[in-house]
Amino acid sequence: MIELRNVTLKYGEKLILDKVSLTVRNNTIKAVLGPSGVGKSTIIKLMLGLIKPNSGQVLVDGVDITPMKEAELYPIRRKMGIVFQGNALFDSMTISQNFSFFLRENLRLPEEEIERRVMEQIRFAGLEGYEEQLPESLSGGMRKRVAIGRALIFNPGTILFDEPTAGLDPVSSKKILNLIADLRKNSNLGAVFVTHIIDDVFAIADETAVLYQGKIIFDDLTGKLHESDHPFICSILSDKILEL
Amino acid sequence: MPVTSPSNLKEQAELKLKDFLLTMQEFFFFAVRAFSTIPKIKRYWRDVLDQALICGVESIPIVLVSAISIGGLMAMEVGNLLEDFGAKTMLGRSTSNAVLRELGPLLMGLMLAARYGSRNGAELGAMQISEQIDALRAFGTDPIAKLVMPRLVAALLMFFPLVALSDFAGLQTAAFVAEHYHKIDPGIFWNSIYPKLAPKDFVVTFLKAPVFAVIITLVSSFNGFSARGGTAGVGRSTIKGIVASSGLVLVANFYVSKLVLDFMH
Ligand SMILES: Nc1ncnc2c1ncn2[C@@H]1O[C@H](COP(=O)(O)OP(=O)(O)O)[C@@H](O)[C@H]1O
Ligand SMILES: [Mg+2]
Repeated sequence: MIELRNVTLKYGEKLILDKVSLTVRNNTIKAVLGPSGVGKSTIIKLMLGLIKPNSGQVLVDGVDITPMKEAELYPIRRKMGIVFQGNALFDSMTISQNFSFFLRENLRLPEEEIERRVMEQIRFAGLEGYEEQLPESLSGGMRKRVAIGRALIFNPGTILFDEPTAGLDPVSSKKILNLIADLRKNSNLGAVFVTHIIDDVFAIADETAVLYQGKIIFDDLTGKLHESDHPFICSILSDKILEL
Repeated sequence: MPVTSPSNLKEQAELKLKDFLLTMQEFFFFAVRAFSTIPKIKRYWRDVLDQALICGVESIPIVLVSAISIGGLMAMEVGNLLEDFGAKTMLGRSTSNAVLRELGPLLMGLMLAARYGSRNGAELGAMQISEQIDALRAFGTDPIAKLVMPRLVAALLMFFPLVALSDFAGLQTAAFVAEHYHKIDPGIFWNSIYPKLAPKDFVVTFLKAPVFAVIITLVSSFNGFSARGGTAGVGRSTIKGIVASSGLVLVANFYVSKLVLDFMH
């Protein structure tokens, strides 16, 4: 379980999040919907402890991670996997090195075990035959699958997705969304995904929070979005795409 | 048109100063962390080797070219000057000090600030804006240990032989020009150098190697890590890194010489 409690965050003088509270339960898919620049990526980075809030708390499985030092955060972060918006694959490493790198870095595993796990992820991502390629030679959808495979490498309980379908064609988008839904169904894996595309939310999210001008203006079951009378939510329900 | 009143200007200057001091503080912590992760070198020795190849072996041509041109120029100009005083036999002595203590290390430093500094700044800046540095942290790897420490160690190791190479090539070229342009016997040239060489000459020249290594690596890496705002941001941070590190190399060059020469007098 991941929880933000009254989190306020500023970049310099600019207020991005204003006393935001948000809960992600285990084994659910939670969407955070908001226009671009509202602070969606920031929320994901807060959950991982990559940035610290100016005030408020971030709790992971009930433990407040805000006062923790970087070294203390490493084991906490392993409970979560992250898929960055631009994938953040290591572009100077091959696909299989992208998978094996963090295993070698973090766990003292015998080489055969590392290879076994890497092969497992390669199969999962459907990338047999691409093991020795560099990320740049793969298509957008394939790169996204590598990033998802990498996020699963430590068997996390929750995966955080930063705009998983941004920049993908409709077919790849659908595949990625199905993949996220399957992970929950087959592996009991919870997910948080932030997005500005409302169709994604209706496709797979159990619960949705809407972030608008630094505040959460809605946080409930996704189906209840239609009952909201907030003007911003009404406008996105009719326009589908969030542009301000 | 916006009107800038004096009080407004003062406010802005204060903000800039505050910004600057904050950046200095950040840089200080960055530097401390780069040094304190050196014990992890066993895990990252491959990265150290890669970087040693980049900053050491691959930098040989540019260091050679700059050392040769400056050694040749010095011998030619100083030789012409000495001729007016009928003191051409002093050519070796007159050029060796400048080349060995100042120009050899300085040019090597500037060339590496450009070459190694730009590479670090651009590479780390691109990793920063594509979130690869965040990815390292997110999956439990200290990016400073993985990316900065190997660059620092490689530079600390490789700058010594590069300084030696720069000095050697500079002096050899000076001797060559002395012989073929000024018609000075090589024996006379070298004889005016060797007996006068003192330990302080070597302390000055070789002390500059680690000083430049620290400046160039840390300043360029820090600027790479601070890159924000897309590809243009990478460009900006790379330039900042090169300008700052070349400037600091020039300043450090002066102070190392001054301190050592004052001290060892
Ligand atoms: N490191 C930073 N320094 C200053 N401003 C930042 C930084 N990161 C993000 N911002 C700003 O904060 C706002 C929210 O950023 P972000 O969380 O990336 O938005 P989103 O992911 O919703 O598009 C944006 O206006 C962005 O420009
Ligand atoms: Mg974002």
